[in-house]
Amino acid sequence: MSASLFMVEGLAKRFGDRVLFDGARLSLESGSGYVLTGANGTGKTTLLRIIAGLEPAETGQLIFRSQSSPVADYPEIWRQEIVYVHQQPYLFHTTIEMNLEYGLARHGVPHTARQVRVHEALTWAGLGDRREVPPHKLSGGEQQRAALARAKVLDPTLLLLDEPTANLDGDARRQVLELVTALCIENHTVVVASHDPEIIRLAILNRLHVSDRRIEAGD
Amino acid sequence: MEWLEPTREAFQLLFSGDAGLWQIIWTSLWCSAAAIMLIAPPSIGLGFLISKVAFPGRRALVVLIQALLSFPTVVVGLVVYMLLSRHGPLGFLKLLFTPQAMIIGYMVIALPVLVVFVLSAVQGADPRVYETARSLGAGRHRAAITTLFEVRFGVMAAVFNGFGRVVSEVGCSIMVGGNIGGLTRNIPTAIALETSKGEFAQGIALGFVLIAVAIGVNVALAWLQGRGGLE
Repeated sequence: MSASLFMVEGLAKRFGDRVLFDGARLSLESGSGYVLTGANGTGKTTLLRIIAGLEPAETGQLIFRSQSSPVADYPEIWRQEIVYVHQQPYLFHTTIEMNLEYGLARHGVPHTARQVRVHEALTWAGLGDRREVPPHKLSGGEQQRAALARAKVLDPTLLLLDEPTANLDGDARRQVLELVTALCIENHTVVVASHDPEIIRLAILNRLHVSDRRIEAGD
Repeated sequence: MEWLEPTREAFQLLFSGDAGLWQIIWTSLWCSAAAIMLIAPPSIGLGFLISKVAFPGRRALVVLIQALLSFPTVVVGLVVYMLLSRHGPLGFLKLLFTPQAMIIGYMVIALPVLVVFVLSAVQGADPRVYETARSLGAGRHRAAITTLFEVRFGVMAAVFNGFGRVVSEVGCSIMVGGNIGGLTRNIPTAIALETSKGEFAQGIALGFVLIAVAIGVNVALAWLQGRGGLE
């Protein structure tokens, strides 16, 4: 059994009168992959955003690598290790290469090392020939792959993917699915919120299900 | 065709390198540019903060800044005059009727233009920009700069419009600059003065310059936007 990498305890979150979570708990083990399922509107995206420090919540305690913090006081240092990818990722209006370099520069990676890592990540995502292209010239599938490469290049301890195959079909969906599978195999701790049956069926992913304001583990 | 002769004289003045005329043009350009360079950073920061940070009185502040947009520049000039006059709170600085006084006035005039344009640009920005930057490890300041960079065309439009507003204004320049030849006389005040004296040639020449500046600023903005779009 791996050690707990990230835990959520006593999470309460509401939007106006609508209660999403009430005393919810979650434990993510290091190096494991998870698929987060649940009906639309149950709070899958909100949960990922809370874990990433992008969404406030009423109460709750977050524990990352044994460091505990109230959900309202998300530690800045955690952002260096936890990366969230939107369902429809936003790529900065520069080039794909510069998009991948952005996070590395924020992590203090020297320029030469950045170039090497960006090249590797673009090759991994099958975008080696698209490095100088502005994002709006990429297809939806390429944009999603670029966003996955931008997250992977940071080698995050915890990677949160929100519906990575939504709005994609055919080859684009299959390629993104392969990258998501590869990320899960590469010993990252990954949480994938998804409705995609193929992702849900992946044997390497543990199941998490959101319902009745709680997060349940298992099938 | 009474206007033909003064127009011919105007071009003669411009292309003969008339020192007095070019001094006026220089005063206009450097005072306006200095004011924009000084007020742009705090205005852009304020515009960003108002659009992103909730605080009590934010709505009232936005309404106040929007109201300042429509303030006559002569009223701004009057307020700055009172502040800088000998018995005013800043009288000890002895800045009244100097280019520095004009720069202060221009900064006050440009501030609401810059803030409102930046506020509008940032509010129109995709919220995922800031979140993506934060999630990729950027601190709050860096994420703010990234957001401003993503809406850079709106920010550039703010700066260029601010410059356009101050380079063409008359009221404040006369109030706090005094329209002193060789020191604080600029294009708009010189046009007003020369026209009142019946000297149309210099007024027309300066009018051409002002129009050329307006066109030049917009051409520069369009060029920057074209390059920035990586088309």
